[in-house]
Formats: sequence, structure tokens, C-alpha cells
Amino acid sequence: MTASQPATRTLVLGIDTGGTYTDGVLLDYHTREVIASCKSLTTRHDYAEGIGRVIEGIQIDNPAEVKMVSISTTLATNAIAEGKGARVALILIGYDKELAEAFQLHQRFGTTQYAFFAGGHTLFGEEKEPLDLQGILDYVHRVKDSVDALAVSAYFSPMNPEHELRAFEAISRICDLPIVLGHQLSTKLGSVERATTAALNASLLGMLRDFVIAVRRAMEARHIHAPLMVVRGDGTLMSEEFAARTPVETIHSGPAASAMGGRFLSRVDTALVVDVGGTTTDIALIEDGRVRVSEEGATVGNYKTCVQAANILSIALGGDSHIHIGRDQKWTIGPARVVPLAYLAHQHPAVKRRIAPLLQKGWGQIDLDQLEFWFLQREPPPGMLEKGSREAEVVALLREGPMCVTDIVRRLKLLHAGQIGAAELWRQEIIGRAGLTPTDFMHLDGIYRAWDAEMSEIAAALFCRNLGLDVKTFRDLLWQRVDEIITEVILSFLTGKKLAAPDPLHDVDMGRWFFHNSLQAAHPHLETTIRLKVPIIGIGAPAKIFLERVADIFHTELILPPYYWVANAVGAVAGSVMVSEEALVYARLSEDQSEVVGYYVQTSEGRTYYESLEEALGYARQRVRTLAWEGAVRAGAHSPQVTLEEVEDGLDTYRIRARAMGTPRLA
Amino acid sequence: MELERIDTQKAYNLIKEKIITLQLKPGAPIDEDALCAETGLTPTAVREALKWLAHDHLVDITPRHGIRVAEANPAELRELFEMRLPLETLCARMAAERATADDIVVMDALVREYERVKGAGNVDTLLDLDHRFHSALADAAHNRYMRETLERFFGLSERLWYLASPQIDWVLRALDRHAELVQAIKARDAERAAGLMHQHVLDFQALVERALGLV
Repeated sequence: MTASQPATRTLVLGIDTGGTYTDGVLLDYHTREVIASCKSLTTRHDYAEGIGRVIEGIQIDNPAEVKMVSISTTLATNAIAEGKGARVALILIGYDKELAEAFQLHQRFGTTQYAFFAGGHTLFGEEKEPLDLQGILDYVHRVKDSVDALAVSAYFSPMNPEHELRAFEAISRICDLPIVLGHQLSTKLGSVERATTAALNASLLGMLRDFVIAVRRAMEARHIHAPLMVVRGDGTLMSEEFAARTPVETIHSGPAASAMGGRFLSRVDTALVVDVGGTTTDIALIEDGRVRVSEEGATVGNYKTCVQAANILSIALGGDSHIHIGRDQKWTIGPARVVPLAYLAHQHPAVKRRIAPLLQKGWGQIDLDQLEFWFLQREPPPGMLEKGSREAEVVALLREGPMCVTDIVRRLKLLHAGQIGAAELWRQEIIGRAGLTPTDFMHLDGIYRAWDAEMSEIAAALFCRNLGLDVKTFRDLLWQRVDEIITEVILSFLTGKKLAAPDPLHDVDMGRWFFHNSLQAAHPHLETTIRLKVPIIGIGAPAKIFLERVADIFHTELILPPYYWVANAVGAVAGSVMVSEEALVYARLSEDQSEVVGYYVQTSEGRTYYESLEEALGYARQRVRTLAWEGAVRAGAHSPQVTLEEVEDGLDTYRIRARAMGTPRLA
Repeated sequence: MELERIDTQKAYNLIKEKIITLQLKPGAPIDEDALCAETGLTPTAVREALKWLAHDHLVDITPRHGIRVAEANPAELRELFEMRLPLETLCARMAAERATADDIVVMDALVREYERVKGAGNVDTLLDLDHRFHSALADAAHNRYMRETLERFFGLSERLWYLASPQIDWVLRALDRHAELVQAIKARDAERAAGLMHQHVLDFQALVERALGLV
């Protein structure tokens, strides 16, 4: 540090809540230098807790210098995937009930509580049939005490949202439940996706609101008074108010933020970004500085939405994937995620004392259950466990400290680990598991030495002795396996194709041969290579060891930008503030529907009518441009730039989309 | 998202509930510290909420007496009913003239919901329906000053229900009137709507006065 430090710096705080860790970085926005960082375990039962710890733990000398806080969160994605959203009643106006049931669409609506009502519009924005408002209100009265929110989606509401708006007005006079309207989330015409998106959004409202409030309180406690932003699924930022209204837009925000962080730190605008986290490895593509989004909308679990989100491929392989012996007695990696033994021993030195004496034993005398430790992560909520139940016994045991599975089995007087039955305790993160992981092997190699490397050495030695391999040989096999998995997934991501399952009896598949020959060059005369035309940006602590050889396989450069191990959190602040506005321009038909007599322009403000298409398009362009610009400024963008995008939808329908983007305004 | 505003709203709802349900008695001094301790909210939020409540006439803030729950003495009651009677009557008249089809569907739905739940005899549910019905009627008058003015009376009126220690049959008798009122509005019979509302408010006034031993 020199004496010529600038008097004022523009610091921003980025936070990423990943599957395993919540990372925080304090960044100098203009020099892109990371001033401080902090890592804490992600607390799935209440994400705000882990975030609070990061905000509390990160070194901030002068909170007044922090000009923005931004978070990416897996909250929404996980809540949807695990079905943990709030209870929602979905009101479908003008949808064809028989058709929906014939196609089993009910499984895609995102809630099991839904009902059909008359109403809706046509493709030309004309009322299809009168709205059954009375039916809707009676339904709401019946269900209002058993749901937390309502969603309303009317047929062709992007063309004419009148029925959704009338339903909103009327419902809000008979109850206080939050109401989400389909047309406010998407102008796309897929009626099922719109209904799904509205229902999912409604189910996440309370959760995201509580989350934002909790983050705000944590900021308050550290005297940070700055705008709070939330990362969208496409890597752009939205204001906290906007996020609290449209939580569904945070789907995939974590991987999107990582990609943005990689770009921001490397200053490379087109690359494949591979984020090697603790639980998963996520792959995304950035082109011209933007994360490539999936065309048809994000899919989470069984649900297809119309949310614009990063096109990502995620596999359950990361630094903390469990290396263990599978059912077939062969060693395997993942998909379960455990806490690395190096970390556990660092926190609880007694663990090492338990394991170290095993080194004296010979081959065949080591029970590998001794390498898997369970530990109490948090006290179970009162009333969760029945007194005297097996689960309560396990929790009582673990209060003494982490314990290996062998000891748990012995103490509970059981025969084998399968009898313990603690799945619910894991799921609720009451107890955690620790075991041998790639992170331990990184400690062994000295690539990463944050925790107890000696513990990793002991555990690796024991594991390998059991396999009858020396540690070095096993390590090479391990990294080779990792290379294969990641190479395959990159190929899948870019081509949309899969490697056929191997057929050991009749191996004539050329695809698989190409694949292996490109990795190992096994053929004496025929060489095959794969060449990736863009560089790979590696992110996450294990990126170096996981990706160096992968980049060689692809004959491309591996870019490890400065601070690549926390680039995910940097990505939370790297995006632009973005607000988009859309208008639909569509034909108005004559009474007898035989000719086009003019054009409607439907914007978020309402519908206007023009006689000619040119006038209509002109007005639409100008109006969405203004609305988007104003919205972006309100959301905290600094002199936003607006880009227009026009798509012809057929049937004399035009979709005009304005995106206003600007760097965050850092006062 | 402003934490202060969120907390103020929370404090407002909590304290308003206490005043309306008479956990804080009319005229009683308000102890800000105790409220903070009880609600777990900041002094700023509680103070701001008390200001909002003063605007609703549920709290009196004076330099001499500090902060008190608004009185509910005979003079106060008279003043309140002197205004409510003509305003609600006018409101019903305007609603009969201007209610849209959707307005009527909403009022109808509230009446039907009342028919559905009245058997259960839950006073809180019934009072909530009563409040919503009067709000819906005020919406149907399509005059925002009317809407705002009446909304400010609702809190005071609701407190009167509790002061009159409502017997369930009183509440039911009052709510039974709503169906007739909707009929008159549907028929666009402004005179009849006004007359019904006039009687509705007078009945309520008599009820409260009797309960408080004023007559």
C-alpha cells in the first residue's frame, strides 16, 4: 500500500449464496480490486442467517464508503425445486378446462390449488366471453384462509389484460392476500407458462420479502446505508423493491452472477465460464459481455416458466463432492456433498485424534465408515423430535461433538449405518456430514491450504490403503475422472447432445471412441482433438486443479482472473441495472372480423388505438423506450442506454421490447 | 425497501388493534417505552405510528397531556355521528347512481360470504366483513374524498363496536341490512339506498348509546 491512496473509494459489497458457501466480497468498483472477502456456510433453513454472518464477518473499515450491496441467491430456485414455496391459489380465466386436463397441464401450474373461470380474450384482444367475476370472488372467499397468495392468469392477457385487472380490483376489496397478475410478468403468449410463472411468483413473494428485510437488517447492524440490489437470472441487477415483487426473476441468479463476475474480473467479453463450487459445477457462456440466456425461458424442476434466465448446465460435482466407495465396491465421486475432513478437523481437532491411530493398522483392517463424520449443525427446533426417538438419540450423541459413523453405530448398539435413519435430520440441516473430498486432495497437493492439511493426508492415506493403491496413483485417477466428467458436460452444454451409455459387450459406438481418444490419445495412428474457439474462464477455489487439464483437452486457454475463487460474489455487483418494458402491437379487426381496421398498442400502462401500423409502431417504440429509461433510473441505473428489439409474431402482431441498462448509480 | 416504513406499518397495525379492541382504554396515557418493549420495535417506528394514529383520530398528541388514546366520551360520539350520518347516507345515494357492474358483484360477494359464515358466529370475521362492505360501498361512490373521509371513520367506528361490547345478534342484525342495500343499489334506487343507510347508521348509534348508558 502506498501513501497515495485516493481519498475516497467507491466500495461495493457483493454476496453470493451458493449451495455450500455464502461468499462475500468488498470490492473497489473502479479498480476491480477485492479489498476483503468472507466465507460462511450457506444456511438453507434461513439464507439470511448465513448472509448476516458474512456481512458481520467481512472487514469494513468505513461503512460509509460502501455504495451498494448486491446479492445473488438460490433461494427462489431451491424453494421451487423443493416445493417449499408458500400456498397459492391460481385463478385461470378463459382457459380450456378439458384441454388442460387432457394434457395433464395441472402438473405444470406450480400449485395444486387452481380453478377455471369464464372470461379471457382472443388473439385480437377482443373479449372472448364475459368475465365470471362472481365465480372468482366466491372461490376466493372459499380458499382465502387456506392459502398465502393468489395468482391470476387470463387467456391472452398480454393482448388485453382487462380481465386480470378487473379480477385484481375486485379481489383486493374482499381480502388482503397478495395478488400476482400474469400479464405483469410476461408478454409472451404461452398461456400455461404464464400461469406457472404467476403461481410460482406468488409462492415466493413472502419468502423474498422476508429475505430482503433480513439482509437490510444485517446491513443496518453494520451501519451500511446503501442501495440493495438483487441479481436476476440473466446476470443483470434489479432493485430490492422490484425483487420483492418479482422474486421469480431470481431463478438461476447464482450461476448468472458467477459468469458476470468472471467477465468483470478477466475483462474478457466472450468465453465459456465454468464455476466450480462446493456442490456443483455450473457452465455458462458469455457473448459480447452478456450471459447467454435460454430462448424459451427458465425451467426449474418440472416447471417451465417464461422467466428470462441464463442458459446454464449444472452437474453435481464440486470441491466438496463425497469421495467414497459405492455399492459396486468401486470408488466414486459425488453426487452427495459433504464437509471436507480438512475443514472439520480444523474446527474440531478431536476428529484428527480419533482417526490418526488408524494409520497403524494394516490393509483390510480399516472400516471406511470411520472416514465419514456426522456433526450437529444446529439445534433442532423445539418439538421437532420425539423424545426417545432414534433421531433424538443421534442428536444427543452429536452434542458431544462430531462422531464417525462407526462410533455412532456402536453407541446406538446397531449393526450397520443403514439402520441409523437420519435422512430428515440431514434434509433439515440439523446434522451435517463430513468426508473425504477433492478439497482434501487439494490440501494434499498444497494448492489450497485453508484448513487442516494433515487431516487430509491421513484420510487420503487410509482411503487409498483400503483400495490397495498408493496415494499418488489414486490422486491421478481422481483428477482424470474429474477431467472426463467436466469435458463431457462442456460438450453436452455446447452441442445439446449426450454421450451414449457404454455397452461393454458390443462396443461399436464411434462417439464414445472419439471422446476417449480425444482425452487420452489411445490410438496409435489416429489422432482426434477437440478445440474450443473461446477461452475458458475458471471460477471458484477448485477451478485451477479442476480445469487446467480440461483447457488442455479443449486446446484453449484457461483464464483464472484475479480473485477467481470469489468471482461468484464479485459477479453479484458486476451486472448492469436493467429494466425492460414491452409493447404488443396487434391488428384490430372489423365487426365481422373480415378486415384489419387499425392497430392496438398494449403497454404496461394500457391500450391505445391507431389507424395505421406505422403510427402504432412509432408510438410503441417511443413509449417503451421512455418507460424503460424511467424505470431504470428509478431502479438506480446511471445514465441508462436503451436498446430496442422487435419481433414479428405472425398474425400481424409485433412485440417491441426496450431494455434500459446502466451501471449502478453509486452515490 | 425502507425498514423504517415496514416497522412503522407493523407498529401502526399492532397499536391500532390494541386501541380498537380496547386493550388500550379510551383516554389512557400511552407509554412509548412500554410499547417498544412489548412490540420489539424501535422508538422511531412507534413514534411514527402514533403520528399516523393521531391522523386517524385514535390517538391525541398534545403538548400538555402528552400522548393519549383518543377519548370516547358522549361529546366525541355526538361529533362522530353528526358527520357519519349524512356522509354515509350521501355515499349510499352516490353508489346507487354510479356503482359499476363490478362494484355490485363485489358487494354481492360480501353479502353472500356473510350468509355463508354468519352461522359460525365469529365476531371478528363479521366485523371484518362489515368493514369491507362499507369500504366497497365507498369505492362504488367513485369519489376519492368520500372514500378517504369514510376510511378515517372506520377505525373509530370499529372501536365503538367493542365499546358497546357487541352481542353477536346485534352484529348480525346490522349486517342483515347489507343485502337490502345491495338490492336498492342494483335497482338504481338512490332514495331507497340513502334511506336504508340512514336507518343503518341511526340504529348503530342507538346501539352504542344504549350500551354506554347514554340514553
